[in-house]
Amino acid sequence: MYRKFLRLTKSLTVSFEKVVNFLTTQEQNPLYFHGALPLYVFWFLIFSGILLWMYYIPTLDRAWSSVNYISALPTPGDPINLAGGIPYGAVVRGIHRWGAAAMMIVTLLHMFRVYFTDRHRSWRWLPWITGVGLLLFVLFVGLSGYLLVWDARAYFIVVATQHLFDGLPVIGGALSAFLVGGEGITDYTLTRFLFFHVGGAVTIFFLVWMHFIRLKEPVVTPARATNFLLLGFILLAAGTLPAINITHELLLKYGSDPRIAAQAAYVASDAPAQIGTLVETIRYDAWYMFPYWLIQNVGVTWSWLILGGSTVLLCVAPFYPKDRRANIAEVIEAKCTGCTFCSLDCPFEAITMVERAPGSKFKQIAVVQAARCSECGICVGACPFQAIELPELHSKTLEADLMALVKKGA
Amino acid sequence: MSEPKRTIIGFVCERSLPIDRMLDANKALLDDPETKFVIVPCSGMVKPTLMEAALANGADATFVCGCAIGDCHYRTGNLMIRERLEGKRNPKLRKTTDRRKVGMFFVTMKDRTAFLEALAQFKAGLEPKPVPQEG
Repeated sequence: MYRKFLRLTKSLTVSFEKVVNFLTTQEQNPLYFHGALPLYVFWFLIFSGILLWMYYIPTLDRAWSSVNYISALPTPGDPINLAGGIPYGAVVRGIHRWGAAAMMIVTLLHMFRVYFTDRHRSWRWLPWITGVGLLLFVLFVGLSGYLLVWDARAYFIVVATQHLFDGLPVIGGALSAFLVGGEGITDYTLTRFLFFHVGGAVTIFFLVWMHFIRLKEPVVTPARATNFLLLGFILLAAGTLPAINITHELLLKYGSDPRIAAQAAYVASDAPAQIGTLVETIRYDAWYMFPYWLIQNVGVTWSWLILGGSTVLLCVAPFYPKDRRANIAEVIEAKCTGCTFCSLDCPFEAITMVERAPGSKFKQIAVVQAARCSECGICVGACPFQAIELPELHSKTLEADLMALVKKGA
Repeated sequence: MSEPKRTIIGFVCERSLPIDRMLDANKALLDDPETKFVIVPCSGMVKPTLMEAALANGADATFVCGCAIGDCHYRTGNLMIRERLEGKRNPKLRKTTDRRKVGMFFVTMKDRTAFLEALAQFKAGLEPKPVPQEG
């Protein structure tokens, strides 16, 4: 039943991609580079993030206005900001803001493409599980980015998260205090959020390394046309929909300023946070704030059940259904010369070269790590000495099949 | 259907074409009985020597058919066989092999028609060329 479902999703995915192939050609089809897309977008976030970091001030009274300063917008009562701002700062912030949305979109695209084509199971469990970790970290880093702006929405998220933690038994209170760095919100809280955001991004690199460790030559660069297209989309969004701070208060006061009037349609941040004053509801960002939408709509307990349950489901997905695993490659010791071809070509790093005993004819021998073997037979194709075979499809059988066909045709 | 004149051996990845619906009991292609399939789990399993053996033992041409480039179920199988046949990766196809008789197709399981068209084109290349008259 479940296998049938996976076959159906595969068939639908391939049908959809046939249409994309028709539009983009097979070489440039972005869906054939789905794994490289999140990494590509991540570079945008890293570089725009470094630029933003240089001007961001993580204190309660300056965080919101420093973000405003980056966007080159005046802040009431802040004479420095009135004097100017960062040239093109709003565009860089826009790249960071819309790049973050693109990040979640391409990460989910990658996840569903892998799942729908049944490429998440069995020997691929490590890339999948680290991928679940990456998804959670992307969510975490994205959310912590919304906190740094320190507007009414950020404060709402902090209070809601503490509420969510308080719903947990035993560790809830400690987590709640850990989040803000003490009993209440202080300047240290924002320093902590900045660490969550930047430290989380660094952790993503570490997880990406684990994600790749069992993949030979992972695809890290999308096709050129996709590169330019994505770059274009993000720049277009950043240039036309800058992520700026505009409040109604600001609009009233500086509405005659053409810089503000021109951007008034794209309100991205709320009024500065005021501790103790909680807004009734926030504008939910679809890609990162769904947990808070859940809390507000189904309550804390159900939110935990839904979020925790889906994470657990994602984590068990690669272990079900089980395959027979009867066709794991076997090395024929007498024939293996230690030439390394199979080990170089194995797409899942399942073959390692091991030293032979002193005094033996050849220096090395290939060893298959059964749990990593995908039973694909690429090693058989790589071996010039017929020293590695699939037990259920011996190359002698293939040869016999071939000879029978050639004879029948003759 | 007329009696097949030639034998063309295709080494076909079981995940590329919808093989179940394309072959008769003798593993010959329904749309083209001259073409017969040897089925492998991944096109990367095919050794160039196996294709050379097909030609040496009476096949008129041979080809490999794998998943679309970029979409190999085992990530790199189609790239491996392509590089081996192009002479860029060991073990390579022997340089003395007639390249016109060795084909490669990389298709998805929804590309049956496209595959048959490409196969027809490949077979057209096998026809003996008229010798140009001097004069």
